[in-house]
Amino acid sequence: MNILTPRPNPIVAALYTLRDLDVDVAILHGPSGCGFRAARLLEEDGMVVVTTSMTEEDLIFGASDKLIEVLTEANALFSPKTIGVVGSCVSMIIGENVKKALIDSGLNNKAFFVEIHGCMGANTRGAIETLKAAMDFGLIGEKEFKRQENMLLLATEVESNKGMAKSKYIKPSRGTDLKIVADYITNLLKENKKIAVVLNAKKETVYLFADILLAINLASKKLGGSVINVGNLSTEVGLLRIKRYAEDIINNLNSNNVAINFISGGMDEYPIAGKNAIDYLKDKDFDLMVAVGIPQALPLIDKESIAVTNGPREVPPLEEAGYKYVTVEIASHSTVMGTREIVFSELGEAIRNSAGIQ
Amino acid sequence: MKQIAIYGKGGIGKSSISSNLSVNLASEGLEVLLIGCDPKSDSTINLFGGKRINTVLDLYKKGVTDPDLMVFEGYNGVKGVEVGGPAAGVGCAGRGILVALKTLNKDYYIDRGFDVVIYDVPGDVVCGGFAGPARDGYADEVYIITSGEYFSIYAANNIAKGLFNLNVKLGGIVGNMRDITKEERKIKVYAEEIKSQLINVVERNPKIYESEIEGKTVLEKYPNDLLNIKFKEIGKKILSNKKSKVPTPITDERIRSILGGFH
Ligand SMILES: Nc1ncnc2c1ncn2[C@@H]1O[C@H](COP(=O)(O)OP(=O)(O)OP(=O)(O)O)[C@@H](O)[C@H]1O
Ligand SMILES: [Mg+2]
Repeated sequence: MNILTPRPNPIVAALYTLRDLDVDVAILHGPSGCGFRAARLLEEDGMVVVTTSMTEEDLIFGASDKLIEVLTEANALFSPKTIGVVGSCVSMIIGENVKKALIDSGLNNKAFFVEIHGCMGANTRGAIETLKAAMDFGLIGEKEFKRQENMLLLATEVESNKGMAKSKYIKPSRGTDLKIVADYITNLLKENKKIAVVLNAKKETVYLFADILLAINLASKKLGGSVINVGNLSTEVGLLRIKRYAEDIINNLNSNNVAINFISGGMDEYPIAGKNAIDYLKDKDFDLMVAVGIPQALPLIDKESIAVTNGPREVPPLEEAGYKYVTVEIASHSTVMGTREIVFSELGEAIRNSAGIQ
Repeated sequence: MKQIAIYGKGGIGKSSISSNLSVNLASEGLEVLLIGCDPKSDSTINLFGGKRINTVLDLYKKGVTDPDLMVFEGYNGVKGVEVGGPAAGVGCAGRGILVALKTLNKDYYIDRGFDVVIYDVPGDVVCGGFAGPARDGYADEVYIITSGEYFSIYAANNIAKGLFNLNVKLGGIVGNMRDITKEERKIKVYAEEIKSQLINVVERNPKIYESEIEGKTVLEKYPNDLLNIKFKEIGKKILSNKKSKVPTPITDERIRSILGGFH
């Protein structure tokens, strides 16, 4: 299916994956402005992202010299340990010989090339190609590559079966007002009801989504009721950086006296961790489930549920799936970059307000 | 003003015919502009005694965008332009053609009162950029050069497919002979098969490549040779041609059966 909805492409996914790999500098061999929204966010997160600012002239005559120049400059300016060079539509159409440029720059021992462009299908393809290039370069082993490749293929499936890629065009929506959702949750707690919170977050978004889990727990401490906490917070799975996210969150929750009852998987295992979470909850007693992060990866249950997503375009498919309320954390991508602590979420704040917590 | 684009299999004689046609039309008193669209920049070389002129894209690279500085006057007053392009194996020559045509600015040479503009396009239609001269606003019609050999006609048919897809008119086919049996008949039957016409044929003649060794057209080196009359006839027929239309390409099997029928 030809999907019209604006969504990330393989170039952007490649950049994010380089960040996950703790690459210091990403060089996009293409026009300035290509992927700039993502590039700016990733710079907030500590990875330098530059382009070779290809021009019309470069399109005609080739821009390998420019790439070598930018490689040399970036190396001098940022003293990186590792550099990732990412292709773009233009440089790949004109068949730029990036591997040769890397050798000619003399930096091929610290720089590797991700052969990708925007017209290669699902964004996850960009992540897979990046991991493959990182494996060939020696950054990760084959086992880890295979595991992540499998996860990414499952993630693609989730999006096309239950998410944003489900139909041709999905209009963005904010879903139900945050205050209505917050009041609903605090009222249940006041009635001494049981809430299961399933944190199924994708990588760095956990810094935001964990705040909702935290807020519900704090509200319960004040108002009553009880909470079962499930999260994909394994500190054993994934790249160093991704494991560090999980460690940060566990430490944060510990210092707030909140314990996770069940770890459903790793931070990059959101496509399968949702199912693990539901399996765990199957024989547990609760009145409401609150799924935050990637709720579309959870199997449906026949209990009252609330979904919290960060994608306004995930709202309509989640509503169709039968959630009582679906609501959006709109600022997720910008607030989580560069942080090592749980950040305030909008729904978390609404719950605190509703519960009268300062 | 009439604008035509010359297409045909690589090495079939597009540049030879374009330059010889240009100088002969000029000696009939017409203002002729020959635009070479090949990155190897050899279309106009025989108008300038074997010298290479500055190309549009080299000038563009240096920041020059004035078309006056890109058009050079060659033998017999014919104006020549070379689009130029990247070195072999890098960049994108197709994009180069599109950018060069834009930089040249067709309104400019319409203003300059040219009677004929000839685009000499490299090889087959290999990508979108190479089809640029055949698109709206550039050539009014396309002429295909072919011999009677299978691969040449096969290439001609591929070009016809491109023209069909782009909805561009074919003015006709010009034969350039390789001295094979019943060659003119073969080309004529093929031309009619795709609902076009054979304009004329140029014999295989050593004077063409002998002149080129000195960087000349036949008119300059052998002014009295009958070949020049042939080029003038071709020019006249092209200028008065009212029969151009979008061709209907045929299948490969059909080409083989047509050519096989002569043996
Ligand atoms: N009728 C002819 N008789 C003898 N030689 C010819 C004839 N036509 C072309 N040639 C010679 O064939 C060679 C190729 O011709 P030319 O360069 O014009 O081909 P082209 O189609 O422009 O090639 P390209 O596709 O590389 O641009 C030249 O050396 C030219 O002199
Ligand atoms: Mg030529």
